Amino acid sequence: MLSLLSEPVGLSHYLIVGAVMFVSGAVCMATKRNALGVLMGIELVLNGANVNFVAFGSDFLARNPNYGIGLDGHVIALFVIVLAAAEAAVALAIVLNFYNNHATIDVDKADELKG
Amino acid sequence: MNLLELFTDLLGNTESSLRLFLPELILCGTILVLLALRIFSGLDKIPSWIVALAGSGLALYYAAPWVLLEGTVKSQEIFTGMLLYDGVTVFFRGLLLFFAILFILLTRVTELVQSEDDADIATLVLGATLGMCLMASANHLLMIFMAVEMASVPSYVMAGMLKSRRRSSEAALKYSVYGAGTAGVMLYGISLIAGVVGSCHLPTIAASLADPSLASQLPTMPLVLGGLMLAVGLAFKLSAVPFHFWCPDVFEGAPAEVGGFLSVASKAAAMALLVRVAVGFAAPAGGGVDVASSEPIVAPVVATAAFASQVEGAVTLTAADTAAEPDGLLGSVRYFIVVLIALVSAITCTFGNLAAYGQTNIKRLLAYSTIAHAGYMMMPVAAAIHILGEAAAGYSAAAGDAVASVLLYTAIYLFMNLGAFAIVAILRNNVGSEEIRDYAGLVQTSPGLVICFALILFSLIGLPPLAGFVGKYAIFYALVEGNLISLLIVGGLNTAVSLFFYLRVIKVMTIDPPPEDRGPVSLSLISLPGIYVTLITAPVLLLIIQWDGLVRMAQAACRALVQ
Repeated sequence: MLSLLSEPVGLSHYLIVGAVMFVSGAVCMATKRNALGVLMGIELVLNGANVNFVAFGSDFLARNPNYGIGLDGHVIALFVIVLAAAEAAVALAIVLNFYNNHATIDVDKADELKG
Repeated sequence: MNLLELFTDLLGNTESSLRLFLPELILCGTILVLLALRIFSGLDKIPSWIVALAGSGLALYYAAPWVLLEGTVKSQEIFTGMLLYDGVTVFFRGLLLFFAILFILLTRVTELVQSEDDADIATLVLGATLGMCLMASANHLLMIFMAVEMASVPSYVMAGMLKSRRRSSEAALKYSVYGAGTAGVMLYGISLIAGVVGSCHLPTIAASLADPSLASQLPTMPLVLGGLMLAVGLAFKLSAVPFHFWCPDVFEGAPAEVGGFLSVASKAAAMALLVRVAVGFAAPAGGGVDVASSEPIVAPVVATAAFASQVEGAVTLTAADTAAEPDGLLGSVRYFIVVLIALVSAITCTFGNLAAYGQTNIKRLLAYSTIAHAGYMMMPVAAAIHILGEAAAGYSAAAGDAVASVLLYTAIYLFMNLGAFAIVAILRNNVGSEEIRDYAGLVQTSPGLVICFALILFSLIGLPPLAGFVGKYAIFYALVEGNLISLLIVGGLNTAVSLFFYLRVIKVMTIDPPPEDRGPVSLSLISLPGIYVTLITAPVLLLIIQWDGLVRMAQAACRALVQ
């Protein structure tokens, strides 16, 4: 662990940032009661993965240049940004519709369907 | 390579790819036409469902699944390896487009939407079908994620189609939150796999995993973690335990027609993707056949989470121990996939059938039945990978046949479940309820519909001589071939268990007296809904006479899957 602090910034540091974002997002999804908070958690998870992709795709960080994903990583990151926006738009519309019918966006109140 | 070469290469590749991509292009075009028609006054009088029907019909014509009857389709990568065009692609694309046509007709027959929402549902159905076609042909980790999202996002909206219903909006919220969450987890898993192996292209990944010189360099822990996270996304689409929570809630809240769409099309596409991923990782092209795993794998039957974690731990250990094998990590990867799929399918199947018992709502019952059937359909995939891991070169045909049983079951399942949900939707329009007890005594006033429903339910159990029997037989035969006897026992026991809750529905409809407060419900088979139901039920009843064609198509589709 200490070596991470002393060595130059490399792939591992980026992966740790990505992992922290992923875990924060997952915790946020699991604990938030507000539907918008859950959606924010989803954004964090997607962007945590995106940090990974960009880091793995970078030629400057790769352990072994022959086994890097290169440009693929950057392209995937771009696609994910677009998809995350589309998904957020749809999810927000659904949350708005839920609010219209229930007058709340507390996900714990979504409990009419069970069994 | 200079710029000119690059340019001509790209043009040539794109041109030849576009030709094989024509059905999807037609779907895209139809969606654009549907959206544009509403802009211009005058043109907005054209009914959207006719345009959608014409578009999907044309796409089906160009997808041409019937070429499988004449022989195998040459497997080739299109769009520089992003997609794979082979028999499985052709089969599933045909199936999905055919289902889209039937579904659009169903929304007309049951009058799901008012005329101003007509274009919305047509656009969403075609958009989801487009994503599902891509799921069936994905050959790249990016395409896997994109296709799953393209199929999911329109489905979220469809679940909330009836905007003013409380339950419908709750179903859409649950579906979109669960779906987006699992998609995020899947993307993180994909990033780990891609980064560790150093490629996003499935055949390249398989080759790297099979490369003995690389085996010691690849860190196993992130690979296992990535594999499990990818499995989370797949399990959500398949509604496999433990990611099945959304399924009953969404099916109950969404209109029955949409339930049918999610139950058939979404499941078929997810099965195709599971086949793509499992075979993609475990079967590198042209080699890596004889793996030194001598112990036959006994698929664990114990359905406890604690046991699952033990197995995962064991797999990690095995992966570390066998890193020095001549086939690289391939043996461990296969073992991992077989154990994971076998375990999940056994639990899914058992859970679905047991949970269906206490249900009083027919849509919830069908949701649990869908979960159980996802379990049955996953079993042969485990068998196929097991055959690959166990045997020498000659056995790859057996692995292909095991996958073919999945295709066969999916095709039969299309008719069974679409029929069931169509009848539920028609009864909703006439009885005004979706509770099973309100179906009591229906046989007295509308015997034709009840007979059709009974046939479909018997077929879902898998009783001969109905179509479901052919599918179950093919699946269990694949399990015998794959030497996964414990899975076979689980499947057999589950079939027996499932008998009772399906029969309960039939008993309520036929033996119980009709409730006093319900008006007379008489639905003749000669009416429009009746004719639709009859046409969907007919293949369930008649497939046993001539099932050779379908089997040949499924086997031709899978012949080139594993070389």
